[in-house]
Order: sequence, then structure tokens, then C-alpha cells
Amino acid sequence: MTPVNPLLYFWLFLKGSLFSTGGLGNLPFLHQDLLALGWARETDFVSAIAVGQLSPGPTGLWTISLGYLTFGWPGAGLALVAITLPTLLAIVVVALHRRVETHPAVQNFTRGITLGVIGLTLGVAWTLFQGTVTDWRGVAIMVGALGLALSKRVPVVAVLALAALAGWLLYGMPA
Amino acid sequence: MVIAAGGPPPRLTEILRTWFSIGLQSFGGGSITLYLIHQACITRGWLSEAEFAKTWALVQISPGINLLKLSGVIGFRLRGWPGLLAALAGLLLPSALITVLMTAGFAAIRDLPAVKAAMRGVVPATIGLSLSLASQMAQSPLTRARREGRFSVVAHLSLLAGAALLFAAWRASPVLVLALTGISGVLWLGDAPAGLRWRRQEARR
Repeated sequence: MTPVNPLLYFWLFLKGSLFSTGGLGNLPFLHQDLLALGWARETDFVSAIAVGQLSPGPTGLWTISLGYLTFGWPGAGLALVAITLPTLLAIVVVALHRRVETHPAVQNFTRGITLGVIGLTLGVAWTLFQGTVTDWRGVAIMVGALGLALSKRVPVVAVLALAALAGWLLYGMPA
Repeated sequence: MVIAAGGPPPRLTEILRTWFSIGLQSFGGGSITLYLIHQACITRGWLSEAEFAKTWALVQISPGINLLKLSGVIGFRLRGWPGLLAALAGLLLPSALITVLMTAGFAAIRDLPAVKAAMRGVVPATIGLSLSLASQMAQSPLTRARREGRFSVVAHLSLLAGAALLFAAWRASPVLVLALTGISGVLWLGDAPAGLRWRRQEARR
């Protein structure tokens, strides 16, 4: 992999947090930027997202895992600072929001951005699908995971564990 | 300093200890973390149900990780800036450290054939989970759109599909996508009559 420029690296992580909301909101940014610079591989993202789901705390801590995989301990530290800084902005937003929250333009802007965030999530899913799902087995696991997640009865950890088991059985056994 | 609803403000060590235990316990993703923060605030009398709900809604409109912002905003409300630091440090120190250690363990074994095969199963599952997340997030705006009528439903779906296409097919930057959907939201969404009025004015030009 290409050597990392720490300042730019930090800025990319900070940009991801500043322009997104929610745990995986920064994924599209980091996915595009780090892959383009050759600072991360597709497998780093998959591993980091899996660890982020399994480890304690918010899912957004997957960013720290990605930092560690791409730039070791310094990467994890920079990622931690980058995901924490937007909290200061939240304090300001909570204070300011009360003055403008009833304005229709503000509400509609917020609604537009919400839809954009959902669209981006679908866009990432599509990109990942094209890059990694190559046969019926992948499609079957994807549809199964979607069904289990939509039922809301199965915890995410169990979905991932089942998928790992399915992968091991479907791809790991000599044909 | 910001004083909590009812009772004296808690000690900083209590804020730190509370979030530390939340950070340690919340295996299995954000919904567990949210549950634990809610429980801690309600049982200690730090926030009422209504205040908690409003705070949770407000932190979601600013950028960043919602649960970190929620912790920071509640810490700030309880004890000002030191409270914010105590809540964030308590939540992040144990969970970030465990995350890195789990990653290191995972990085050591990810090239084993059995692990590679298992990961080939996990990747499609993460796609399925993203799709489920998207559908859950879409439910509330689309329900509202349905109440507003057909025009609003079409506007909502086009914005959503447009954002996905811009990103996936034309590799547009996510910032650009969100800026465009935000502006389109102001022009197209909201009460459908206003949107139609605007379109008629546009058509007359």
C-alpha cells in the first residue's frame, strides 16, 4: 500500500465525520478517498465493519478499526479524534436549532439530506455488491441476512456469525 | 454551568463511571448503547423521557456519530464542558481499546483459508444489513410522504434514487450528493401544494 500522509489522512477521516450522520455514514467518503489514494484495500473495509458491529460501543467505532488496519496505532488514534470532534458541533446545533426549527425551508432541507443519506447507503451497497458478490451463494447469503435483519428478531452479531458459518460451509469446503 | 432537571448535578466521577460501564457493556452495536444510555439517564433522574427523546432527535441532525453526540450533549447538560469530556472519555476509552484489540486479533488471522472462506460469507451479509438499514431509515420519511399525497411520494423516491445513482453510477462525491438532495428538498418536498405552485411558476417563465 502507498505510504500514508498523516495530515491528509486525518482530514479525510474528519471530513467523513463532518459530512455524515450515523455509524456508517462516513463509509462512502472513506471508501472513495482511501481506495483512490491506495491507503486501504476493500478487505480492510469489510474487516473494519465486521469488527465495528461486534465490538462494544457505537457501530461508528468501525472507523477506529479501519484506522488501525490502514495506519496502525497512529491511525486508530487519529480516527478516534476525528469521530469525536463533531460532538462539539452538536452542542452548537442543539443550541441554535431551537431558533430555526419551525422554518419550513430548514425542515425540507433536513428531509432532503435524510433521503440523500439513505440513497448513499444504497449506493454503497450496490458498489460493494458489484465488487464482491460473484455467484448465487453470495446472493443467497445477502438475501438471507436482509431477511433476518428486517425481521428485527435476530441480533446483528448472530446474523454475522451465521453468514461466516455459511461462507465457511459454501466456500471453504473442497468442491 | 447547566443544571440537570431536578436534584443537584452529579459528580464528574459519577458521569465518568456511568459512561464507562455503558462503554464496556454495549456489545452488539448501537441499539444496545442507546438502550443503556437511556436507562442510565432515566433511573438517575438526569433527564425526563421527553427531554431524552428531544435530545436524541436533535443530535441526529448534526454531523457525526449519533451516540457520541448524545453522550457529549448529555454530559454537557449535566456538568458543562468537563461533563462532556467525562461522558465521552467514559464511553470511548474501554470500547475504542477493545475495538483496536479485536481488529489486531482479526488482522492476524484474516489470511487463513478458513477465515477467508468465512469472510466471503460475511461480505454479502454486510450488504444485506446495509439494505435493511436503508429500508428502516426510509420508513419514516416515506410514511410521511404517503400522507402528503402522490406528488410527495414521487419527489421522495426520485431524491432517494437520484442520490444512489449519482454515487454508484457517476462516482459523485457524497458531499455533492447531500448538498444536491438538501437543495432539492427545499424546492420539492414539504407540503405538496407549495411544490406544485413553485413548479407552475417555473413553467410560466
